Amino acid sequence: MFDSAAGVRQRGKKKSGGSGPGSGSEDEPLIRKPHVAAAYTPPIALHRGYQVALAVITALAFATRFWNIGYPNQVVFDEVHFGKFASYYLERTYFFDVHPPFGKLLFALMGWFVGYDGHFKFENIGDSYITNGVPYVAFRAMPAMLGALTVPVVFLTMQESGYSLPAAITAALLVLFDNAHIGQTRLILLDATLILSMACSLLCYIRFYKLRHDPFGRKWWKWLLLTGVSLSCVISTKYVGVFTFVTIGGAVLIDLWNLLDVRRGLSLQTFGKHFMARAFGLIIVPFMFYLFWFQVHFAILYKSGPGDDFMSPAFQETLADNALSLSSIDVHYYDTVQIRHKDTKAFLHSHRENYPLRYEDGRVSSQGQQVTGYPFNDTNNHWVIMPPAPFPDSQRLNRPVRNGDVIKLHHVQTNTDLLSHDVASPYYPTNQEFTTVSMDKSYGDRHNDTLFEIKFDHGKAGQDLKTLAAHFKLLHVPSKVAMWTHSKPLPEWAFKQQEINGNKNVAQTSNIWFIEDIPSLAAGDARNTKEERKVKHLSFFRKYFELQRAMFHHNNALTSSHPYASQPIQWPFLLRGVSFWTKNDTREQIYFLGNPIGWWLASSLLAVLAGIYGADLITQRRGIDALDRRTRSKLYNSTGFFFLAWASHYFPFFLMGRQLFLHHYLPAHLASALVTGALVEFIFCPEDSVEIRDGKKVVVPGNKQAYIGAWVATGVIGAIVLGGFLFYAPLTYGTPGLTPDQVLARKWLGYELHFAK
Amino acid sequence: MMATNAAAYGTGTGMDTAGLRKRAGGAPEYTSLRPEEEDRKKEVKPKNSGVDIESVLAPIIFTVLAFFTRLYKIGQSNIVTWDEAHFGKFGSHYLKREFYFDVHPPLGKMLVGLSGYLAGYNGSFEFKSGETYPPEVNYTFMRIFNAAFGALCIPLAYFTAKELKLSKRGAWFVTLMVLCENSYATISRFILLDAMLLFFTFTTMLCFARFHNMQKKPFSFEWFLWLVLSGISIGCVCSVKWVGLFATAVVGLYTIEDLWNKFGDLKMPVHVYASHWIARIVGLIIIPTLVYMASFKAHFIILENSGPGDAQMSSLFQANLRGTELGNSPLEVAIGSRVTVKNMGYGGGLLHSHVQTYPEGSGQQQITCYHHKDSNNDWFFYPARDQPDYDANSEELRFVGNGDTVRLIHVQTGRNLHSHAVAAPVTKADNEVSCYGNLTVGDHKDHWTVEIIDDSSRDKSKLRTLTSSFRLRHSALGCYLRAGNVNLPQWGFKQIETTCVKKNNPSDKYTHWNIESHWNDKLPMADVKAFKSPFLKDFIHLNVAMMTSNNALVPDPDKQDDLASHWWQWPILNVGLRMCSWDDKVVKYFLLGNPFVYWASTASLLVFGLTVLVYLIRWQRGYQDLSEEDIDQIHYSGIYPLIGWVFHYIPFIAMGRVTYVHHYYPALYFAILVFGFLFNHLCERLPKNVSHVLYAVVYAITIGLFVLFSPISFGMTGPASQYSYLKWFDNWKIY
Repeated sequence: MFDSAAGVRQRGKKKSGGSGPGSGSEDEPLIRKPHVAAAYTPPIALHRGYQVALAVITALAFATRFWNIGYPNQVVFDEVHFGKFASYYLERTYFFDVHPPFGKLLFALMGWFVGYDGHFKFENIGDSYITNGVPYVAFRAMPAMLGALTVPVVFLTMQESGYSLPAAITAALLVLFDNAHIGQTRLILLDATLILSMACSLLCYIRFYKLRHDPFGRKWWKWLLLTGVSLSCVISTKYVGVFTFVTIGGAVLIDLWNLLDVRRGLSLQTFGKHFMARAFGLIIVPFMFYLFWFQVHFAILYKSGPGDDFMSPAFQETLADNALSLSSIDVHYYDTVQIRHKDTKAFLHSHRENYPLRYEDGRVSSQGQQVTGYPFNDTNNHWVIMPPAPFPDSQRLNRPVRNGDVIKLHHVQTNTDLLSHDVASPYYPTNQEFTTVSMDKSYGDRHNDTLFEIKFDHGKAGQDLKTLAAHFKLLHVPSKVAMWTHSKPLPEWAFKQQEINGNKNVAQTSNIWFIEDIPSLAAGDARNTKEERKVKHLSFFRKYFELQRAMFHHNNALTSSHPYASQPIQWPFLLRGVSFWTKNDTREQIYFLGNPIGWWLASSLLAVLAGIYGADLITQRRGIDALDRRTRSKLYNSTGFFFLAWASHYFPFFLMGRQLFLHHYLPAHLASALVTGALVEFIFCPEDSVEIRDGKKVVVPGNKQAYIGAWVATGVIGAIVLGGFLFYAPLTYGTPGLTPDQVLARKWLGYELHFAK
Repeated sequence: MMATNAAAYGTGTGMDTAGLRKRAGGAPEYTSLRPEEEDRKKEVKPKNSGVDIESVLAPIIFTVLAFFTRLYKIGQSNIVTWDEAHFGKFGSHYLKREFYFDVHPPLGKMLVGLSGYLAGYNGSFEFKSGETYPPEVNYTFMRIFNAAFGALCIPLAYFTAKELKLSKRGAWFVTLMVLCENSYATISRFILLDAMLLFFTFTTMLCFARFHNMQKKPFSFEWFLWLVLSGISIGCVCSVKWVGLFATAVVGLYTIEDLWNKFGDLKMPVHVYASHWIARIVGLIIIPTLVYMASFKAHFIILENSGPGDAQMSSLFQANLRGTELGNSPLEVAIGSRVTVKNMGYGGGLLHSHVQTYPEGSGQQQITCYHHKDSNNDWFFYPARDQPDYDANSEELRFVGNGDTVRLIHVQTGRNLHSHAVAAPVTKADNEVSCYGNLTVGDHKDHWTVEIIDDSSRDKSKLRTLTSSFRLRHSALGCYLRAGNVNLPQWGFKQIETTCVKKNNPSDKYTHWNIESHWNDKLPMADVKAFKSPFLKDFIHLNVAMMTSNNALVPDPDKQDDLASHWWQWPILNVGLRMCSWDDKVVKYFLLGNPFVYWASTASLLVFGLTVLVYLIRWQRGYQDLSEEDIDQIHYSGIYPLIGWVFHYIPFIAMGRVTYVHHYYPALYFAILVFGFLFNHLCERLPKNVSHVLYAVVYAITIGLFVLFSPISFGMTGPASQYSYLKWFDNWKIY
């Protein structure tokens, strides 16, 4: 907004070309029609050059990703998670994970192709695949293939953006010979899917943008929709895919802004069509696909499994052979029950001991009977649910307890009733004490203080109270506090059991309790003979929203520390890697690390690009024009798009509180490789010139000898990158083992390698 | 993103027919000024003729009203209300001249102290929350002093609106919104820092607007005056609370844009351009820094006695406070000296050991860092095993210097400070440090080499109490003794883990130690002058300590805080805050804003953004709706306040610490300015009588709601149920 306002004053000055990610080499006034743009296509010989290079690079990519893929034949690092999820899909048991389903579904598909049944659960790093009979090579082949395909996509991105052959080769080499890309994509991990779809999104959008002179054509639509589908794959693999949306979205907004320019001569209807087409192709279509994967997810996982606990009881009842639908029993008045706290799993408990008169901090108690939380089965956990006024003896049976009912709780062993009152609890001066009182008081002057309301969490009024399935809060009627407990044990006077008190903050989710079982229920009771319960049905959107909320909640909660977690600032400098796997007897290890030479080169060229932008802005501000228009257009539109991709895949990590690892930088690294290629061309290639032939402006590429500089640069970069790759290859492929000297030689920046001694 | 897109589309379709008509008629691409606009220009002119009574009278009337709203019944509640408990106490520390520690910079609290001084208060009252003021504390005066800052905000708002070139009616509206803002009125009535913070935020905005209007006369006296005043104002606002940095950022952004524009002015001679730079560096960087540092200098000068905040400072600083044990010790350390060793990292403790052992690793006696004074912190300097033994009876003195290898023996248990190649309990990459052996039992792994990093006398040949900072290198393993801010589990009593770090990083403060207390009968007591602490070091140390504790104010999930609120609740006035107990006998104050001001100003932020977007789209479509002056006014009177709001609001979203409603108050002022500007801008485009009516309506609503809600500001007496009519929402816990 700020910039634009400044721009307002510059109205009438020349515009610096259309902005956008495509080749950008055609400036609007220069070439209008698509067939003239086609004049930019390189000559046949050069075209052959691209094809040969592409073939060689693709072959090398497959070779580097697939070499010795069966090694190690053990579970490595996060294969623990993603292998396990594939197994759950194959067994069709419900599980919970913070990532969207697409990437994991691909693994499941692969497992299904090879006929694997999912019996192995990938419990520990180092578990053998051979003895457990897991088709792990097939599993690993899937990401390896996607990882290998990423390299030609990078090459094509450069080619489609109109960069010269050496530039395209440079960019592709940086990804091809990168130890991090290889290491991460030849294991059962999600990143290969993520990176390939991210690269495809960039490529498809560039193809789409190049067709801007033929809007709404068949090809235009094709590439627009392909961009949308690629974007959808990114976001359906991991939520960092949002950054790819930011990249493409930024470019689209700039493009739309230019289309809106009155000098472009588009009517508002046409502009509206442009806008709607992009909104449809890049927002609605991806979102539909995203939802589709969740539908597949729910359809496959129809059985109860380890993820049940993360979901609400209503959700769990939609799963087949679910413990809840199997053992959930209606609770009636005069039943003896055990009440359990959901978070700490402690039972509501009381015993024949009183609160001490004075606590350590000097506050006094009511000296009433202690009410505590106790995690083990005990008859002191037994409470009878009573109505506020006793029912007539004849009508005591089969009176269900319902949501919203006011009840009294009677402690069986001590013959007292639960009560709360305005006395501070042992630890919390702000919370109310819970205690019990004798029956005569309970039906006498303290009656009101013994009343509690059962309030379901997300329940309907009048719903029946059931064991296990119903989560509720117990609200004290006169004072409106909720029964609550926490994990800090009380002192010795309460045998280190948990404190139970009345929490004024009723909304807290830690106030939730449920009925564990009904000990008083006779074995022959009608309620124990369960009819075959039907699996309930919930609408897709209810299930989706519940799962989505739980995923975000747990994603934000991933804050625990990990010995190999790193900070975003460390990534471009490649300050530390991650130890994936070690094998002591052969001194072998997999240490996840990029190719330091490639990374440092790419990162330093990012700095160079920022420097070029800064210098250009400053010189332009002082009225000096150091670059010709075509070069600048390419520098800002095409290279700028890569730079935007890097920035939007990198900087948001600084705002994230969760634990981060080096592999989060891989999409940004790919973008930085594209920038590197583009800068090789900017620095070493001659500028193309424009000539007027037959009254038309035609682009003439710079002369061929002048490309020698770029070829030499590519050769040198290729050689040192290959050197770096081979040097670190033993740590990437996990073989061969290294002697201490060899390990020490690789500890460049204090990388925490094993077997250095 | 979606919303903006949709809006852009919506307006686009709306304008479509106009666009078509224009093209069909073959009219020139850019329409000329529309007739209404020309009318407006004519209107504006006669205003400046003669003396403008309004510009004299209006501020006076507003100021009088401001003092009334801020002072009315100010002494009614005679109990310590809300955070008066903190700031009143800090004020007392200044009067008692005891060193204390707090997360906020000192200026505001020194002013509180000044108000107490003027009120003749001696600093003896403890300001316990909810306690009744004793007769000797003239709390009414202290509150009035504070309320004056709050009241003066109103004329400042008026002048700022005028400088932002709002019309008379617009300026009144802005002033009225500040005047009738219940939350401002309430929070200004107590002994708190917020009135001062608001006051200096307001002055900063005024100086910014005034300085911008001086741009046509660079390097004139007035130009310099407002530049320097801006600088002082920025310095003050940052010295009250660090939130002031956000106001600084607004001015900083403006300055950068201004210099960038001037950079493009090819006609400006280089030396003039350089002068612009120098003037701004002096005015907006150096002066504020000096003001900020001066407030700390005064803080250190006033607080010359030892007090509750000692432990946050370096040992050397503490030695300079009156009434402390530190500094009463011999200067140079010799073999046989009994010492305590303090870690110099921020929040570092004293090297400590106790009989409990590590449950894992070597299983030897634990070494930790501990903040409390305790005899388990005492250590003897002993010679290394290969050197002649220490003889307590001989008169010979062997001083410890840089590079000497020594043993450290724990006084209480007689064991040696020891390290070995066993992973530390928490920081696994480091070596474990333990206490092992005794005088005779032990090995060369008990040997530590003293490396003196720095000494205020620059002479490293001897290790000195307090003034030397040194590292301890383990002679056998080459690692360095370190105590980062990592707490041990319960078995280590949550004390700080002490390890031996393999990496040699001389600038790692957590490996730096100093001798805090030192006893040696054979050595003479040091001259107190030997322990001079340089101001700059203390200044930086205190600031880093403030930052660390500020970041540590994170919400505790186990501890519920009914008063805290979330960022999203503020602009929509979702919550208020009970400032005192809700007992019937107590005069109750409820911190809640004027609903109209809050809701309308929040909505205006969005509407203003959309307005700018519509103007931009229309500009891109070739319409010229706005003159140069209009654009300039939108830019400086609309967009800058919007940026100010963003700067004052967004950081609280990212902030991990506990937040309260009053954190929104500086941002609210910027929202009010945006609303005032937007209303003014739109009304100028309406027929005159319509805009008169609109102004009358908003004046009436603002005043009316203030009056309606005035009990929450002036104090509610009697049972809260009388005021239940004010409880519009459940979260407004007035009743």
